[in-house]
Amino acid sequence: MTGGPTAYSFEWSAIWRGLPYLLQGAGLTIIISALAMVLAVALGLVLAALTQLRGGVARPLVRAYVEVFRNTPLLIQIFIVYFGLPQLGLRLSPFASGLVALVVYAAAYNAEIFRAGLEAVPKGQHEAARSIGLSAWQAMRFVIVPQAIRIAFPALGNNLVSLVKNSSLVSTIGMVELMFVANDISFNNFRTFEIYGTTAGLYILLVMLLTRALHLAERRMARVR
Amino acid sequence: MSARVVLESLPYLLRGTLVTVGLSLAVIAVGTALGLVLGVLRFVPWRRVGTAIGWAVELVRAVPLLLLMFFIFFGLPALGIRLPTFPAAVLAMSLWMTVNTAEVVRGGIQSIPAGQFEAARSLGLGWLPTMRHVIVPQAVRRMIPPFVGLCTILIKDTSLAAIIGVFELTRAAQETIERTLRSFEIYMVAAAIYFLICFPLTQLARRAEARLQRPS
Repeated sequence: MTGGPTAYSFEWSAIWRGLPYLLQGAGLTIIISALAMVLAVALGLVLAALTQLRGGVARPLVRAYVEVFRNTPLLIQIFIVYFGLPQLGLRLSPFASGLVALVVYAAAYNAEIFRAGLEAVPKGQHEAARSIGLSAWQAMRFVIVPQAIRIAFPALGNNLVSLVKNSSLVSTIGMVELMFVANDISFNNFRTFEIYGTTAGLYILLVMLLTRALHLAERRMARVR
Repeated sequence: MSARVVLESLPYLLRGTLVTVGLSLAVIAVGTALGLVLGVLRFVPWRRVGTAIGWAVELVRAVPLLLLMFFIFFGLPALGIRLPTFPAAVLAMSLWMTVNTAEVVRGGIQSIPAGQFEAARSLGLGWLPTMRHVIVPQAVRRMIPPFVGLCTILIKDTSLAAIIGVFELTRAAQETIERTLRSFEIYMVAAAIYFLICFPLTQLARRAEARLQRPS
């Protein structure tokens, strides 16, 4: 196709040359997201468990944590960890900063999801578990939490999908993942259209595969009872 | 002293805040209108059209907002479409808001029992009047909590516009830090401003959600 001065020729070769690096970037995105999610699930569970303690300051503290991290931009949180904390003497690498920010952000959502899950398990379940002689801890561990996780699973899955997309923000502080690689390539060869287009394709592929896997897991969970 | 730095930078940050609020309102207005249309169109009687819309929404939703923004700002000039930073950011965010609103609308409509639709059609109402007068009014109640949540996410995500150079709250904070080198305090203040805007909205969503749980 020919055109005016802005005519641009789409170059497939730019995609083939960029693809190996983009795939590597996608691999890093998967690793970072998986690592962040595992840590955020653990932290979220602990926070949600704290809200179940009667009395004390744990409940309002967790609530404050959740509200603060859910109501401020992730980008600002990343900047505070990477640019702000060194001012207080805590200097973290781009990787550590990005990971910390992603974990505390996702954990706030997870805590809320788990809390709702725990509260959705009928009270009678707990009473029944205690009355057959389980201790409070055993009732939690073997009766309440497994049911709560099943209830929380779909929302948790959505949060994981968001986390994969949100991990693109850590490219702004120089953590190498898919978005960072895409910028790196396209600012060097100026094939912005092809490279960002391919990157979008990779994110779509990643998200679709993940959604599919989560659906399958959810179905299996519903069957095993 | 850092307290003085914070105090002196406040007017500049508030100017950025005004842009953030304006930007958010504009994007929410455009995205809500288009998203409502797109979400309802997913249920048109022509199956193929509905499926195609559903796929388009899913594809765009799978792309991170930051990438949408870079694609529109850095990628489209390759096709001769050159947008300044502000319109590029508005376009990217409106696209994002549109597809996500369409998803909320889909969820709301699907939560309405199919019998409602069938009953309306059997009374002789056309597809559009059925949607307009029967389905959507009932579905709106269920859409409100996720929609308010979506607006909160959008307001937080307007901060991404700073990355391509749009002047708003986050950009104002960055510029202030370049002058004062007090990154911790200034970003904390920016975070506090975002919090003041978003917190009432999340409380509203929470209350609307609780209201839904109660029988009407």
